[in-house]
Amino acid sequence: MTTAIQPGGGGGLDRPSPTGLADVIDTILDKGLVIDAYVRVSLVGIELLTIDARVVVASVETYLNFADSVNRLQIGDNEPKGLPDLVNDMQRGGARAKTKGAIEAAGQKLQEFLGGDDDRADARPRRGKGDD
Amino acid sequence: MSTANTSGVYVYGIVPADVELDDGFRGVGEGEVDIVRSGELAALVSEVPPDRPLGEPEDLSAHARVLDTVAAAAPVLPLRFGAVMTDQDSVASELLEEHNDEFRAALSQLEGRAQYILKGRYDEATILREVLSENQNARDLSEQVRGMAEPTSRQARIALGEFVSTAISSKRESDTETLLEKLRDLTEMINLRAPTHELDAVHVACLLELDSQARLEELIDEFAEEWDGRVDLRLLGPLAPYDFVTTTRPGAGDQA
Repeated sequence: MTTAIQPGGGGGLDRPSPTGLADVIDTILDKGLVIDAYVRVSLVGIELLTIDARVVVASVETYLNFADSVNRLQIGDNEPKGLPDLVNDMQRGGARAKTKGAIEAAGQKLQEFLGGDDDRADARPRRGKGDD
Repeated sequence: MSTANTSGVYVYGIVPADVELDDGFRGVGEGEVDIVRSGELAALVSEVPPDRPLGEPEDLSAHARVLDTVAAAAPVLPLRFGAVMTDQDSVASELLEEHNDEFRAALSQLEGRAQYILKGRYDEATILREVLSENQNARDLSEQVRGMAEPTSRQARIALGEFVSTAISSKRESDTETLLEKLRDLTEMINLRAPTHELDAVHVACLLELDSQARLEELIDEFAEEWDGRVDLRLLGPLAPYDFVTTTRPGAGDQA
């Protein structure tokens, strides 16, 4: 089996595609072969992202966030909003949107580095002779 | 052992010796990816200056891009990010020859296969409504919280949040298991990854025949449809088999 396959298209989900930075960090920093002979070069500039991508803890903060989300959800579902609720929502929404923006910007930046699918096609490897 | 090097050799992974690359295939630090061969094995490498720190986002993505591009066409043993050797000779002798048997055995097992990653993330509002609708306790707790002033409600909010968090964890387990039941029809080589976000629904890596990718996509389509609006499902791949190579501990060989 030596044929290079193309990412599929269409459908309601993301197709096989270049991965986001978080996906890459998840995968290449703590997986893959390590052989003692290698000199491991120190990593710079990614420590925070690494930690961020890997930590899921059921912390008090997580719980409080969930409680807030439930609260917002029920306000949205059950009651016409008064001005204080709206302001409150907007403030919270603003903070959340900011965080998300930063994460997505990192992903977008990576997409630029990856250059999308087109670049991948240029440099497609091939097998020199048939295997078996 | 040479000491006065003007550059180092970054090593991406191990491939069969018959793999060829087009010119202009750029890797870490824009170095051109080259192939070092020894017998039936080859290493994907590129030159890096020895004093250049590695680990910038573009370095990480270059490492993954080189390996994943190759993985779509040939078996590859991915090295963990950041492996640098002194020169191409040492790659041939200390890496390829030294581990000839195990690398060849591993590559033959990987022939025609690649890794895929399935990632699902719950839609927060949808999953919270689901939890509330299924649990009287959660509804009671949330009513309680809403009737209280902010400072005094802290304990109640923590209790509500913990309940929700536990409920989502158990949904994650059961949704993941539902998906795994179907995935096992395609492959037994599955690595359950730890969640990386509190709203993760599914995080699974699998090793699959490249020929079966269409079947995997169909499977994911079915789940995406069934979970529409509830779980945002993504399929990544083909990727190098990062989750399915293990570091060998050379028993007698000392690598110091």
